Amino acid sequence: MKVNVWLAKAIAIFSVSMLASCETENQQIAENSLIYCAEGSPASFNPQTDTSGTTIDAIANQLYNRLIKFNDDNSIAPALAKSWHVTRDGKMITFYLRKDVHFHSTDYFYPTRLFNADDVLFSFNRILDSEHPFHLVSEGKYPFFQNVQFSNIVKEIEKINDHTVRFKLHQANSSFLANLATDYAVILSKEYADLLAEQDRKDDIDVHPIGTGPFKLKSYQPGSLLRYYRHDNYWHNNVALEQLVFDITTSDTGRLTKLLTNECDVIAYPIAPHKIQENPELQLEEVTSFNIGYLGFNTHKPPFDDQRVRKAISHAINKEAIIDAVYGGKAEIANAILPKNSWAHDKSIQPHEYSPIKAKQMLIEAGYKDGFSMDIWAMPVQRAYNPNALTMAKLIQADLSEIGVQVEIVSYEWSTFLRRLSLGEHQTVLLGWSADHPDPDNFLTPLLSCSSVVTGSNRALWCNQEFDNLLKLALQTTNINQRKNLYFQAQAIIQQALPLLPIAHSKRFQARNKKVKGQLLTSFGGVNFAEVSKQ
Amino acid sequence: MARDKIYQEEEFPSPLIQLWIIFRQTPSIMIGLGAFIFLVILAIFSPILAPHSSVESNVAMAMLPPAWDDAGNISYLLGTDDLGRDMLSRLMHGTSLTFGLSFIVVIIATVIGVFIGSLSALTRGVKSSFLNHFLDVILSIPSLLLAIVIVAILGPGLSNTLWAVIMVLIPQFIHITRNAVKEEFAKDYVLASKLDGASSLRILHYSVMPNIIEKIVSQATFAQSAAILDIAALGFLGLGAPIPLPEWGAMLASGFDLFYIAPWTVYLPGLAILFAVVATNLVGEGLRHAIKLRKFS
Amino acid sequence: MFIFTLRKLNLFLFTMLLLTILSFSLSFLFPGEQLINISGQINATEQELAILATSYNQEGNIFEQYLAYVFHIFSGDLGVSMSSQTDIAGEIVRLLPATIELSMFAFVIATVIGVPIGFVAAINHNKVTDNVILAVAMIGYSVPVFWLGLLAILTFSIQLGWLPSGGQISLLYEIERPTGFMFIDILVSESPHKWQALQNAYAHIILPAFVIAAAPATVFIRLARSAMLSVLETSYIRATRAKGLSFIQIIFRHAIRNALIKVIQHIGLQFANLVTLAMITEVIFNWPGIGRWLIESIYQRDYTAIQSGLLVLSTFIFIVHIITDYTYAALNPLARGAKYGSR
Repeated sequence: MKVNVWLAKAIAIFSVSMLASCETENQQIAENSLIYCAEGSPASFNPQTDTSGTTIDAIANQLYNRLIKFNDDNSIAPALAKSWHVTRDGKMITFYLRKDVHFHSTDYFYPTRLFNADDVLFSFNRILDSEHPFHLVSEGKYPFFQNVQFSNIVKEIEKINDHTVRFKLHQANSSFLANLATDYAVILSKEYADLLAEQDRKDDIDVHPIGTGPFKLKSYQPGSLLRYYRHDNYWHNNVALEQLVFDITTSDTGRLTKLLTNECDVIAYPIAPHKIQENPELQLEEVTSFNIGYLGFNTHKPPFDDQRVRKAISHAINKEAIIDAVYGGKAEIANAILPKNSWAHDKSIQPHEYSPIKAKQMLIEAGYKDGFSMDIWAMPVQRAYNPNALTMAKLIQADLSEIGVQVEIVSYEWSTFLRRLSLGEHQTVLLGWSADHPDPDNFLTPLLSCSSVVTGSNRALWCNQEFDNLLKLALQTTNINQRKNLYFQAQAIIQQALPLLPIAHSKRFQARNKKVKGQLLTSFGGVNFAEVSKQ
Repeated sequence: MARDKIYQEEEFPSPLIQLWIIFRQTPSIMIGLGAFIFLVILAIFSPILAPHSSVESNVAMAMLPPAWDDAGNISYLLGTDDLGRDMLSRLMHGTSLTFGLSFIVVIIATVIGVFIGSLSALTRGVKSSFLNHFLDVILSIPSLLLAIVIVAILGPGLSNTLWAVIMVLIPQFIHITRNAVKEEFAKDYVLASKLDGASSLRILHYSVMPNIIEKIVSQATFAQSAAILDIAALGFLGLGAPIPLPEWGAMLASGFDLFYIAPWTVYLPGLAILFAVVATNLVGEGLRHAIKLRKFS
Repeated sequence: MFIFTLRKLNLFLFTMLLLTILSFSLSFLFPGEQLINISGQINATEQELAILATSYNQEGNIFEQYLAYVFHIFSGDLGVSMSSQTDIAGEIVRLLPATIELSMFAFVIATVIGVPIGFVAAINHNKVTDNVILAVAMIGYSVPVFWLGLLAILTFSIQLGWLPSGGQISLLYEIERPTGFMFIDILVSESPHKWQALQNAYAHIILPAFVIAAAPATVFIRLARSAMLSVLETSYIRATRAKGLSFIQIIFRHAIRNALIKVIQHIGLQFANLVTLAMITEVIFNWPGIGRWLIESIYQRDYTAIQSGLLVLSTFIFIVHIITDYTYAALNPLARGAKYGSR
């Protein structure tokens, strides 16, 4: 018996002392680390090769920098380039680079030199030059750059000296600088690439990333977590967080639960806003975002190759109900693809009003008296432009059953969803687009141009030469009134053909624990943890 | 006590009536039976009884709490979900899906299982031994896992789920029938009819079946509670009923996203499943209990 | 014991044969091309496909193809996942330990809680205690596990804030995973925060383990209760009573041991059931185990993963069966002579 008592005492003392020591150490580890609950896994570790918001949020601002960046007021500010100069004809742009930028040093790469012009040349030539040894890594897909037809814009990139590069353009392009400031135009390390080429592991460049950003990659488990460590030699500022963890939690409720139980410090795309607002430890923030949530019709698949059917569907959908149920009333009904605060938004566009009778009428005209059955692909992740595609699909399902159209709702895990979507397996899809920069071209070209059919961001697979020409003309001029006029004409074509049914423009929401300080969200691009700290 | 009959006759009620007499003695089991019958009625008449449509959305009435809450509305007794569909109506319709279909599933599985089981009881030798092994393997895999396998092969969907559950239940019935039939065949009365020259099939039909029917019914109640849970679990995992259908498991899964905003969309379908399974189990329990007691009496 | 082993080995081989045949035939049953289903190489070029075809012996007859498949399994090649193109065998090795850990934990809880309560119920047969225990057991047996999981999260994580809501460990702790078993990995790791990590992992496993344990525990209650009841009715217990042993002596010295043997007999079957419950619970608690992975694979129509995952999971369940059979046989010599169907 005596032994037992002793044992019990020993255990008690041991556990008490353990608990005490834990308190302090626990606080330490919690203070220097931040857990962000993300809505999905990144598809790549190189933003050049992917445009999905999930990927950009996870990697772009964490791992990389760009030559230039957007300021809060959407003006362009220096980043890896100290300054730049544009010639009067707009055909030559010279960048003067910083000399104090370190690349990440990790388990798999140790840089021996600082950032210089070779890295810039490498990063862009990889995209431009189809003969480049790294061009075909990741199957030669650079969706953003192919959407804007980057290789038709840039004639050549020239290295003037180690810290000066010059972009020569075929002709002036009004959105060129804005394109370079997006999250996609990142700078990779040439030294790392050379090492990989030598070891014949070129694929690793997009898998084990090396960049100049505030964090470096420690480990990645698809579907579960992404762990970053601080980049100690970051050129811009001292990063407060030692560790940054992306906890990949696909369920909305799961993320909110983790926020409420303090398992996550910040969560993406929160639901139940009042639940967050009523909790004194939490904070809900919103940021205006340039985006559009739409229903895309696959114009290659019957019956949606017939624009009468597309229009009939658009009259059958009650957008107001969707705004209430899906966005909680915190979005505005979209009548056109461009949001109202874009300078190229055409106020004269007539919306396709909700009218089941008219819809039924148009279906009969199109020869579908008894209706038909179709599928709606509802994206499995939450985005600002569509916080709950499944509910939206259910509402549309109910709306369409009234005009005799039977709907089957389809959904896959996000990366599978995108892969199958780009194969054109869908009939209609609920998706959206968040602009990367304020230029209207960033809506129309990636969503509806012929070149984006090839790159896969044109989910309607719609291609119209006249429309494409208008977009091209609009890029070649810097006269804003001329451009406006051209975009109005382009929008009139879309309104007539209706390859996409615009549904809503929404704000982007995020919720955080009040312990987390600093700005995370901007109007364009992904989240950024460089200047975030924790109390 | 005055008796009409002068001679005291021994009265023997038939086995089934005997069973019923024992069965009705336990009040909790009678409550279970009442609940069971209630569910059966609801499953059949839900389209007439339900106050609202179960699939039509009415966004103006979205996410109303149940009527006893201050914000509730009396015409939506149990509140509404995120699309403004009446929870009560959906639960009532769900009765015919989750409970009603599980009932049908069990009947189909029973018929097939008993048929194969009794035939296999008559076989001997290698075939029988193989079947034995095969059943052992199949029965050692949990029914839900097996159902998930079959759904994986057939692809998600309500009818595929039902086939999966049927297929999963059949081996259990084969097993129980086979053992029961073998047991009965070893008894003397079967030997007697054998000596009278009756064929095996005739014995099976006239002598053995009436004696094993209770065992099969009690297995069927087991099977039904498993079927309800399996159908609901597959629905919850999104492998069962397609989206607008108010299957209880699927309802629970879609309520999961509204957990914090509209918790009743999670509580109510769960309670419905619990209620149905408890009712079924109570009936089964009572049956087994009664069979056991009758054997002793 | 030798004959017993032989018989079990025979059963095991038969089962493996059946499972591999099933798994092999799945690749034909799933939609799409069989070679791609079996290997998972969706992006393979013509040449790569040709190499694959030879390695799976596509030229040969169906039997030779099956042999080639079995050969692939035994060399540890289960193909690659269709959706992520990662090696499936590696994924399974990474995920299976998490499931085993959780199931074992739940299993211990179910036994430790269920069996004694069952005995208590039997000892108080037909009294209030017995009836209350039976009623609770009935509800525990009937409650859908996914619902119970949600309620547990709502109560213990959100409202009371006692336990975390999901995952295996707080992501702040970075633990090397050589074995895949979280508790072992933490103990062998060189993390400076070893002890908090251990505590943290412990806090994470409690809720899912209890949720999984609920239904099996009630089954154990019923098993233990009926086992104890039948033991108490036996003549040897009556004999001890006649000899004047006290009630406590009877129960602890004689009844419990004999009742326990009967309970162990059914444990294997319950473990299989428990693993299925664990699969669903993993989805709710975001547990990085094989069940969640398998269900995700079904969502994504990742046929290669489904096929291999099922094979591994059912093999695992079957091995547990055999282990419990052995334990039972070791404890109860009478069982060694028993036949197959008597489990």
